[in-house]
Amino acid sequence: MGYPHAPHPRETLVLSKYFGDRDAIGLDGWRKRGGYVALERALGMTPAEIVTIVKDSGLRGRGGAGFPTGLKWSFMKPGDGKPHYLCCNADESEPGTFKDREIMRWTPHALIEGCAIGSYAIGAETCYIYIRGEFTEPLERMEVAVREARAAGVIGPNAMGTGKRVDVWVHKGAGAYICGEETALMNSLEGRRGNPRIKPPFPAVAGVFGQPTTINNVETLAAVPHILNNGADWYKKMARPDNPKSTGTKLWSVCGNIARPGNYEVEMGFPFKDFLYDLCGGPPPGRKFKAVIPGGSSVPIMNMEEAEAALMDYEGMVAKGSMLGSAGCIVIDDAQCMVKQIARLARFYAHESCAQCTQCREGTAWATKIMERIEAGEGTMDDLGTLLEIGENMTGKTICVLSDSCAVPIASGIQKWRDEFEAHIKGKRCPFRTAAAA
Amino acid sequence: MADVKTINLTIEGRPVAVPEGTSLLEAARTVGVLIPHYCYHPGLPVAGVCRMCLVEVEKAPKLAPACATSVADGQIVHVHSEKAREARKGVLEMLLINHPLDCPICDQAGECELQDYTFQEGRKDSRYKEPKRFNPMEDFGGDVVYVPNRCILCTRCVRFMDDVAQEPVLNVSERGDRAYIGKFEGKDLTHPWAGNVVELCPVGALLSKDFLNKARAWELDRTASICPNCTQGCNAIVETRDNTVVRMRPRANPEVNEYFLCDAGRLDYRWMNGPNRLELPQARQNGLLADADWDVALGAAAAAIRGNRTLVVASPMLSNEALHLLSRLIRKTGGRGAFRVARGPEAPLPGVKDLALRSERAANVVGAEKLGFTKTDTPLAGLQPTDVLVIADHALTDAEIEAASRAAAVVVIGTTLPASLANIAAVLPIANFAEEEGTFTNLRGRVQRFLQAKAAPGLARPSGFVLSDLLGALGESANYFLPADVFAALAASHAEFAGLTYDRIGLRGLPVINAPQPAGAAQ
Amino acid sequence: MAISKEMGGTHAESHATHGSAEHAHGEPHEPVFVGERRKQLDELLTRYPTKMAALLPALWMLQEDRGWVSEAGMAEVAEVLSLTPAYVKGVVTFYTMYHQHPVGKYFIQVCTTSPCNVCGAEDVVNAFLKHTKCGELGVTSEDGRFTVIEVECLGACGFATPVMINSDFIESVTPEKVPDLISKLT
Repeated sequence: MGYPHAPHPRETLVLSKYFGDRDAIGLDGWRKRGGYVALERALGMTPAEIVTIVKDSGLRGRGGAGFPTGLKWSFMKPGDGKPHYLCCNADESEPGTFKDREIMRWTPHALIEGCAIGSYAIGAETCYIYIRGEFTEPLERMEVAVREARAAGVIGPNAMGTGKRVDVWVHKGAGAYICGEETALMNSLEGRRGNPRIKPPFPAVAGVFGQPTTINNVETLAAVPHILNNGADWYKKMARPDNPKSTGTKLWSVCGNIARPGNYEVEMGFPFKDFLYDLCGGPPPGRKFKAVIPGGSSVPIMNMEEAEAALMDYEGMVAKGSMLGSAGCIVIDDAQCMVKQIARLARFYAHESCAQCTQCREGTAWATKIMERIEAGEGTMDDLGTLLEIGENMTGKTICVLSDSCAVPIASGIQKWRDEFEAHIKGKRCPFRTAAAA
Repeated sequence: MADVKTINLTIEGRPVAVPEGTSLLEAARTVGVLIPHYCYHPGLPVAGVCRMCLVEVEKAPKLAPACATSVADGQIVHVHSEKAREARKGVLEMLLINHPLDCPICDQAGECELQDYTFQEGRKDSRYKEPKRFNPMEDFGGDVVYVPNRCILCTRCVRFMDDVAQEPVLNVSERGDRAYIGKFEGKDLTHPWAGNVVELCPVGALLSKDFLNKARAWELDRTASICPNCTQGCNAIVETRDNTVVRMRPRANPEVNEYFLCDAGRLDYRWMNGPNRLELPQARQNGLLADADWDVALGAAAAAIRGNRTLVVASPMLSNEALHLLSRLIRKTGGRGAFRVARGPEAPLPGVKDLALRSERAANVVGAEKLGFTKTDTPLAGLQPTDVLVIADHALTDAEIEAASRAAAVVVIGTTLPASLANIAAVLPIANFAEEEGTFTNLRGRVQRFLQAKAAPGLARPSGFVLSDLLGALGESANYFLPADVFAALAASHAEFAGLTYDRIGLRGLPVINAPQPAGAAQ
Repeated sequence: MAISKEMGGTHAESHATHGSAEHAHGEPHEPVFVGERRKQLDELLTRYPTKMAALLPALWMLQEDRGWVSEAGMAEVAEVLSLTPAYVKGVVTFYTMYHQHPVGKYFIQVCTTSPCNVCGAEDVVNAFLKHTKCGELGVTSEDGRFTVIEVECLGACGFATPVMINSDFIESVTPEKVPDLISKLT
């Protein structure tokens, strides 16, 4: 609903229908809006039936990787005699992304319902919702909702009176971007440093507490009740006619230099140009868009030519050189210095590197220092080549992709805004800073 | 053991067949291909963090960490391809950007894996123009200091303390490039095995205080040996410089100590260089104990012994060979042998099966028992005034000095003079453990060889020489030239040792027949 | 890195003796996990198959009660969860939200990551530094009331610039709003 703005007619409100609606937060309000009908139905089905519906719907992970959810669930082998776990990844930390926050703030029971269905579908009796520590308000609302749902018997040892156990617990993070990486999240949940783990073993084999585990993003799980209520076909139809691989609605967080920042829900395949100019109101008055990072800070930066030709689904973004990622859309206008902003992103990754892999621990910090030096007007032309080579060494060589994510915007920047880099180096100062000061 | 499938693959063009589950790194090792690595250590859980062991596996989308990638049938692995070498070069450059390059004053220089791999495949220059990270040195307690500037965060030390010593007193603190190896104030590296983190550290970040600034690695002579300090018999390397032992380090042996050596063993080497050594043979002539030629001293010893019963009090630090020859002396004279062993608290290394600093603090307690010596706290008990007391490197207590003075005669065969006694007939100076070759039998009956690491002082001779000559002087046939010859004679005369030879024992050791098993061990 | 290959169980138990509630610096530490807090922790432990899993929550309780996570506090947490203090410290230092030093009564975190940065977050930081009289990032004001830090992405990018004051999350802060915000903090 373009929250906090009024919904735009071209949005398709499924997950965001009740954003801003205080009455939807509590259990009663949620029930009045059709809540927990899907859970009741799900508990009457076999887990395999649920997995099949989710598979058929084409739902893919909304956290960034876009892995088919039903397929992921099917990796959990029933009857292996081991406890299974569901982890809900609510560590939303990817710069530019703030959709899960709104789901938890306004529709906490939607997430609990999704968690409960997901748990049942993968044979888990326990689901942990790992919420980043900075999300104080979503944490509070989720904790209240979990207590309510438990007290009402919706979840707990006898969920919905079916005799089936579904425990849902909220676990609070403590400040670490990397805990949004699924294996780091599991380590953090276990009370360890949030270090990503080497795969294999994959979580479905040995995840949290060494047991088979599925990790799903908040938005992914929140979509599941809707799919059970309306059917896989309903969900599948929300797609480009020529691209059945991306289905359903997608929440897009929009921020940066744009007239109406907020969360928008559109069907897969929506034209990005219309989205930016029509739904989000275009650039701030008197400005022009310069760049868009469409999927959270870890994806390649698009120039406007690329962005305006892109379609908003997994494949559409790849076709224009970027990725859908977590659909956290950072818009940068022509008053911003790309060198400065890329340096700032590099600093983010250097700050968040877990310190395990050499290339990431050293590379993110080194790249940041070079970027900041260039921004300060002390760079050399050699630095550009060095940055690209460091980036190459940081890509595809580490346990997780944090270091790749640091290299991506730097490479995009040097490739697409080389003139700005050269202006810093040759002019020995930031041209934007001078302009602002003048 | 369940049948393990054999996997066939190709590494650097060489066919490899290894059991399923083997890592690419270990598989490569079997065909002589060393894949450079830092965080991997065969005695520790795999971390896969240094990313140095990246190799190219055909058809895989990304380079694979060889330590954390299991072999698969038909894999074709390139260790030295352009892509793999470039990746490792990138890692080396990253590891060096904050490394101080203070190799001239670093103890690790010369045995540093960062130096070695940089020499092998690193860049010739650094592109790093920024200031280097700096953190002060920290005393970690025990024998260990931490130099964080040199640390490459491989976490071997942390994993050793967590998983092998099972006393997690080290951690990785902070994150990103601010990370360092941390500990908790007041909780030091005091675990009896903590010193192993110094060896495990591939660079000069964890250093031994004992060895600090003592020698350059390339000046050291290294000798395969056995730690003599308890009955465990950890395989060790004795390192000497200018005929002086300056360091003891573990030598890998999966059957005994894996890769480890306890701090007690590591640090208790100074006695090998000890002062007050007997350097010249002595004989009592005209009532006075005076320096003498070997022949004279041996003659005096033989004369004192001949026709008398002996009580041989031997050190359990003597080799099987020396003890065997002493046992022949005992048999010849109708005497008996005894020994006392020093004791201390046992200190196990929990992560390794049946490995501990044993309470009996001498190498050859089991050897001595097998060769007929009696373990007792009072080895001189029952000494008769008609007995000749042979003191074979045994240290006398005050009470024992008193007792010894009442023997018919005393023959000293040792490294030091146990006491100035008027009844000493002869003093035969011998080499100490580090100065001769021999074998020990550890508490599990494993016979293990140690080699000569340094020269004996003065005219001191290897114990086997001296005892052979003494037996010869007593009319026994004991024409042994090499320790191996003595051992062959031992093996021929003791059923438990049957079939063992120096060649067969090699540098890993072999158990005696019906070797004792640890309590609770299935077999 | 694994502190123990098995989860919980005997290995973790063996660490119990290493924990100590005594403060390494000798200053008194009043135990947190007694009475009601202990009950809360015990309830929490029923949610997880290992004791270690309660580490982050236990550290949160410690910080809520004491305002920061001292070494003595870490030692207490280590003891109640059968861990070693060094292990706990390794975890504490990984997460940015645990204060390893005392902070001002109002701990002000201003997001300056790129989405907020392009919206002028640095000016918001400067406004806070000026109006709290902290002057410098991470330095507590002389009156002990304020500590201002820059924080990485708070996950509210559409509401630039989000600011956290203790656990209050304030959206869409501009430099102009800062004096008013501070005046409300008593």
